[in-house]
Amino acid sequence: MRIFRKRIPEYLITLFAIITLNFFIPRIMPGDPFTFVSSEENSVSTVYTDEEVARLKAYYGLDKPLPEQYLNYLGNTLRGDFGYSIYFNDTVLNLVGGRIVYTLPIAISSLLLSCLLGCLIGCMSAYKRSGIFDRVSYALITIFSQIPSFLIGVFFLFFLAGKLGWFPLSGAMKAFATYESGFEKLRDILYHAFLPVLTLTLAHIGEFYLLSRNSMISVLSKDYIVTARAKGLLKKRVLYVHALKNAMLPIITRLCMSLGTIFGGAVLIENVFNYPGLGTLMRQAITYRDYTLIQGIFLFFAFTVLVMNMIADIIYGKLDPRVEL
Amino acid sequence: MRNLGKKILLPILALSMLLSLSACGSKTGDTGDQESKSPVESSQANNDREEPLVITLSGGDCGYPSPYLHYSRGPGSFKMRLVFDSLLEHGEEGLIPWLAEDYNISEDGLTYTFKIREGVKWHDGEEMSPEDVLFSFEYQTANPPVGGISTALGKENNIITDMTIDGNNFIVTLSQKSAAMLNNLGSVRIIPKHIWENVENPKEFTDEVCGIGCGPYMITEYNKEQGTYKFEAFKDYWGQNQEVDVIQFVPVSDGILAFDSGEIDLTGITPDVYEKYAHSDEYKIINNPGFWGYKMGFNLEKAPALQDINVRKAIAYAINRTDLIDKVARGAAILPGEGYIPQQSVWYNKNVKAYEFDPEKAKDLLDGKTYDFKLTISSSNDEVRMAELIKLNLADVGINITVESVDSKTRDSMYKNGEYQLILNGYGGWGGDPELLLSQYAYGAIPGYSNEQINKLCDEQLLETDQAKRMKIVYELQNVIADEVPQLPLYNTTGMSVYRPAKYDGWTYMFDHHETTHPKISYLAEK
Repeated sequence: MRIFRKRIPEYLITLFAIITLNFFIPRIMPGDPFTFVSSEENSVSTVYTDEEVARLKAYYGLDKPLPEQYLNYLGNTLRGDFGYSIYFNDTVLNLVGGRIVYTLPIAISSLLLSCLLGCLIGCMSAYKRSGIFDRVSYALITIFSQIPSFLIGVFFLFFLAGKLGWFPLSGAMKAFATYESGFEKLRDILYHAFLPVLTLTLAHIGEFYLLSRNSMISVLSKDYIVTARAKGLLKKRVLYVHALKNAMLPIITRLCMSLGTIFGGAVLIENVFNYPGLGTLMRQAITYRDYTLIQGIFLFFAFTVLVMNMIADIIYGKLDPRVEL
Repeated sequence: MRNLGKKILLPILALSMLLSLSACGSKTGDTGDQESKSPVESSQANNDREEPLVITLSGGDCGYPSPYLHYSRGPGSFKMRLVFDSLLEHGEEGLIPWLAEDYNISEDGLTYTFKIREGVKWHDGEEMSPEDVLFSFEYQTANPPVGGISTALGKENNIITDMTIDGNNFIVTLSQKSAAMLNNLGSVRIIPKHIWENVENPKEFTDEVCGIGCGPYMITEYNKEQGTYKFEAFKDYWGQNQEVDVIQFVPVSDGILAFDSGEIDLTGITPDVYEKYAHSDEYKIINNPGFWGYKMGFNLEKAPALQDINVRKAIAYAINRTDLIDKVARGAAILPGEGYIPQQSVWYNKNVKAYEFDPEKAKDLLDGKTYDFKLTISSSNDEVRMAELIKLNLADVGINITVESVDSKTRDSMYKNGEYQLILNGYGGWGGDPELLLSQYAYGAIPGYSNEQINKLCDEQLLETDQAKRMKIVYELQNVIADEVPQLPLYNTTGMSVYRPAKYDGWTYMFDHHETTHPKISYLAEK
């Protein structure tokens, strides 16, 4: 395929740049993984002596000159060795793997939900353009997508979970629960994931709504739609079969491209709901300057986003023959 | 077009479903101990109660409770200590014999003899022997655990010339006297030789047997992602009965909401909600001793004006610390000892001088001069509030403060590297052995500050093994420190905890630590 020959080198260069940044950014931040002089209120932390810090740095290879560390890191990454977390005493692969299973489902389900809902409302809006439904939904959704997602999250947490007690306050599962059936377990997981997914969905519904509305409006003015209507086809059929099919193009691309932003949103939302995904882990990794873990998490996010972009490229090429890749 | 949509959407859907299913699967995988027993079984050791007593506390992941795997911050080390015992334990009043049923220090203070208790079992059923004790010391000196090993035991400053066993005795010989040595030797975790002797890299030894100790509790469930722990009483424990059969830690986002709903059995509270629990027999409130505190550090190199003792004293007089306690700690704190040792410490000198809030005196000391300093703080709410109040206080006497707020890790590294003029810092451990005065005040601990008398007294108290004589030196040291103000302690926090006595009433404190859920003696029959 032509696209691969042309695009793959570009993606490789991007990936290389990202790996390099991943290495240098944590090390530019002041501080190192071993210097603790403060502790959270009413808690304690181990204060290492200079000898111990030196020994730990040597143990993790952080005493070597930066270029050497960088080459080691590059080599290890290429071999698929993502290193050993300094703070969490486990391999980065285990740590990231243990959290992806929480982050990916909420990220992907809210992505699909916001896309689905956004398109649905967008189409309805476009069909009766400037009607009451259009105006109200346009205003509401624009406002909602301007509120930072963590604020919506905090509101839900305090009101729906704290005040009304409808939802759990934190976590992804009931602690020490024993489930009678797989269904019960699934219910518990969905129950815990509901608020994070709802928040993320609301935060991203706007982009899909606007996109599908605009795309639909331009499609609806096309001649073939007029023909379809003139044939006396049902309104629903015209809208969801003839028009939507052609308006889908930018939406599908957007769906793939949005994964990056939805990860960004998930990082914040997980911290609000104390949801044990990659976002909470990332915050801790940065607080503790856990270099290897920061590298691992960033690399995972970057790699996923690149892959999704590539998929978007491919789809676009397939869907729209006019696009010269 | 339609087909293509299906082709893309279906795998994505399938993937997300698959992943949520594997999320379910990972939950059961992380249990810690092969010999896990049900709570009912373990309670049979406790005949006087029919139902096993399960205490649930606020958790969060702080690492697997093994000396090499728990995290260096937070309560991980105390969870590890439920599983791993040491020669001596920290009691309510002082050190108490534990795995060493008796100990003896020779007259010259150079030989320590610990008589190792017999009949102690590891959680896997093996017998603990003096061999294990010797092995634990040698192994951990060569491979320091997460909590570090006291500098006196480390390779660099080693004053230990010999460690040996003789029958049931474990004998340590030193090259010089050290008052902190008993505590240091007594705190080393005893680990089973039969598990660790062939482990070359303990940091990467994550097999679940690394959680086998001989302490009162076994780790039976641990989930890293959820931050949950379950500890169950070890029924072959040598010592006192465990009052609590099962200790569980679950993640909690708001302690008070969780306590009210009965999700957890004890929570820390602020003075704001004190009234809510104060007048009911259902609840009991206990006060934490003030062994966590904030101080203001001075850098005499970066701010040479601070070399003038009058400027330092003026700052001490000018800052209204009572006001800080009221407004920032909302009353849940006490004034610090001016000689650094907190008021509730056994080492506190009651007669140490105090700097009461007195802006006039501060102005006199400054003699009409004005100063400009930069104050470095972390971005935590409390520190920002504190800095604002301090800024106002100091402006009143002619000292202008520019506040620089950075993230806490950056502040820590600036502190460590001496890149500040004035700095705020909050941390625990103030109630520990006076050995800490050495690292706080002596030999260049404070940039640009050196005081012969402080250095001398710090050394002397560390060499004095007679408790009463040592106390006298530490008292004098506090007087000198209070007089010199090389840095300024601001306040020591005294949090409160609330619990339901009907459920469990055994909560207590170690003599040198501020938290009640940390000490293992909180869960045992005798304190």
